[in-house]
Amino acid sequence: MDFSLNPDQAAIVAAIDRLAQQFEQMPTGFDGFVLPGDELEKELELAQYFDLAAVPELGPVAAALAIERLSRLPCTVEVALSMLLRPAINPEWPRPVATVEQGRPGRFVATAKTLVLIDAESVSVAHPGGNDVEAVESLYAYPMGRVTGEPAREKMTTEQAARTRTLLRIACAAEMAGLLQAAIDATVEHLTVRKQFGRPLGTFQALRHRMAECAVLAGGVKNLALKAAYTGDAGDAALAALQAQHSASRVVYDVHQMFGAMGMTLEMPLHLWTYRMKALLSELGGRGAQAAAVAQHYFAVTK
Amino acid sequence: MNFDWSKEQQEFRNTVKAFLAANLPDNWEQMAHGPGSASQTEFSKQFCGALAKAGLLIPHWPKQWGGQDADHWSSFILAEEMWAAGEPRGGQYMNVNWIGPTLMLFGSAAQQQAYIPPMARGETLWCQGFSEPGAGSDLASLRTRADKHGANYRINGQKIWTSYAGHADTCFLLARTGDSKKDISIFLLPMDTEGITVREIPSIIGEGDIHEVFFDDVEIASDAMLGEEGQAWEIVRKALSMERVGLPRFALASKVLHRAVESLKKLDQCTPGAMEQASKALAACESARLYSYHIVDQRCRGELPGPETSAARFATVTAERLVSEFVVEHVPDALAGGDPMLLVHHQRGIVAGIASGAAEIQLNLIASNLLELPREPR
Ligand SMILES: Cc1cc2nc3c(=O)[nH]c(=O)nc-3n(C[C@H](O)[C@H](O)[C@H](O)COP(=O)(O)OP(=O)(O)OC[C@H]3O[C@@H](n4cnc5c(N)ncnc54)[C@H](O)[C@@H]3O)c2cc1C
Repeated sequence: MDFSLNPDQAAIVAAIDRLAQQFEQMPTGFDGFVLPGDELEKELELAQYFDLAAVPELGPVAAALAIERLSRLPCTVEVALSMLLRPAINPEWPRPVATVEQGRPGRFVATAKTLVLIDAESVSVAHPGGNDVEAVESLYAYPMGRVTGEPAREKMTTEQAARTRTLLRIACAAEMAGLLQAAIDATVEHLTVRKQFGRPLGTFQALRHRMAECAVLAGGVKNLALKAAYTGDAGDAALAALQAQHSASRVVYDVHQMFGAMGMTLEMPLHLWTYRMKALLSELGGRGAQAAAVAQHYFAVTK
Repeated sequence: MNFDWSKEQQEFRNTVKAFLAANLPDNWEQMAHGPGSASQTEFSKQFCGALAKAGLLIPHWPKQWGGQDADHWSSFILAEEMWAAGEPRGGQYMNVNWIGPTLMLFGSAAQQQAYIPPMARGETLWCQGFSEPGAGSDLASLRTRADKHGANYRINGQKIWTSYAGHADTCFLLARTGDSKKDISIFLLPMDTEGITVREIPSIIGEGDIHEVFFDDVEIASDAMLGEEGQAWEIVRKALSMERVGLPRFALASKVLHRAVESLKKLDQCTPGAMEQASKALAACESARLYSYHIVDQRCRGELPGPETSAARFATVTAERLVSEFVVEHVPDALAGGDPMLLVHHQRGIVAGIASGAAEIQLNLIASNLLELPREPR
């Protein structure tokens, strides 16, 4: 049991942090509700960071840390599936990678080069052509898209499908950990600056306690995500995704409350985090499905 | 980053488990009801004596005091296994975790000689006299006084909620030695000193747990003071930092959760609703576990305690609450003649957010020290 990073992991985490810092600036204009991170994506490609999990000294833990850090940025890039799923299932897959669940719109689907299609128990893979997918306007702060054509699908084996679900859960938890943290950081700043009744909002205990509870949840999600990334275990992954979705549903509500009307505006783009969390909340079947997976792995209950 | 146990850690855990299997009597789970009851106190003396002989009572203490200089992981693994088993050490866990180590740091040679060896042999029970009727979360407002009286101090006042006081040999007592907020000192007070009256407080949390302790003109020699006059806060801060992770409550909570689900399986009552609740409770237990492990890891590295300790405590309170709620809702006979371990957990779990620092106080600390929100006006 050792929570410290090895020198290679520490170096890559520091490098990604330096890169991320260049993209911290808050947006001034929006294309829809999303802030796409095209420049960041180029930098990540150039540095081959999407493949870092394959480096033995780094592994999925470093990938999870990178995902967590990058998802704290206001801009968004398809990072999580490329960094965690692709190296483990098929490093040859072209990226971006996106999931489509039960035919619904999904994140990054319109630009994805690899689609993971989940229909009830079956999981298959497709590489869509230009006419197979289209962008969908949405309130989510991810670029959303849907499948319109019939790209050739290759069905995964049961083992591969199970492994894929596990990795998707870890990716979801790692990404959520970053989003939770960023939303909390933004809210703490707001509560520190905004005054009502002659004092900063952050001095009111009713709000302090709620924020503290949010912080405990967020830290828990990060730890669980890192452990799941380390073990790659299906049970750990289910626990992490469950805690991630459970925590996000609470935190999203609380941080919007604390911003008052300002939280509804694009001028204070809280939605960049909260509406990404809302997108992740429903994925992989939502909390009920993660809980069922936990029940199966830890309690041997399959109902 | 590494979430595996080392071979030595795994072996140590197995040794502790094997010891428990060999040394807990068949009726242990029924007995584990009253953590401060006469029967458990008696049993704990015998059990801790055997632990000491097996080198498992104080492995993390320095060799000088009979320990093995083992790292913090050993004491935490030991604590996890003990707590999960219903804490057969009873109140002696306090000696091992913080009272002994605090005496090593601040005690006079005579105090160390008098008190540490019996702790190392597992023969003695202490109680912690901090809280008072008017001083709970606001401990600094305590009013029990120790006034100079010739070569002695004379103690008057009252403590409350004092665990194990009914059978304790010695009290680690906080008393006021002056009028300012800081004028508080620590006394190592034998519980059989004249003028001390102990009254058990009937409660919902098990026999012999909490007490009132009254001090009426209790005379005690000056050399019973630990450290110097007015040094209490410094010592207490250090002492509590040794306990910084708090009890590994998640260990029993998660064990009990599994037992509760097993009992539902037998009744074919693992509905999706129940299982979702159980899964959330398990996620909370594992979150608390990792928070605690992170802090133990920091401690092994010699890092100072940070505000994460409050987060770990709050995560633990949440885990206790969710498990407790699950059991009450789905295995109601736990509180009515069912599996005794579920009752033990219930009675210990419901105090998690109050004993050793209320949950809301932890939230205040998290808001100020982890989030660095502006402080509340005073
Ligand atoms: C089982 C058990 C064993 C114990 N054993 C011991 C022992 O051995 N020795 C000992 O000295 N003490 C012991 N205690 C006492 C324990 O330390 C106190 O209960 C604890 O410090 C809380 O104090 P209180 O009960 O007076 O609650 P209070 O301080 O009155 O608090 C009541 C409620 O108000 C909240 N509150 C208080 N202040 C604030 C604030 N500033 N902001 C927001 N909310 C606030 C609290 O969080 C709590 O929810 C024990 C308690 C229990 C339950």
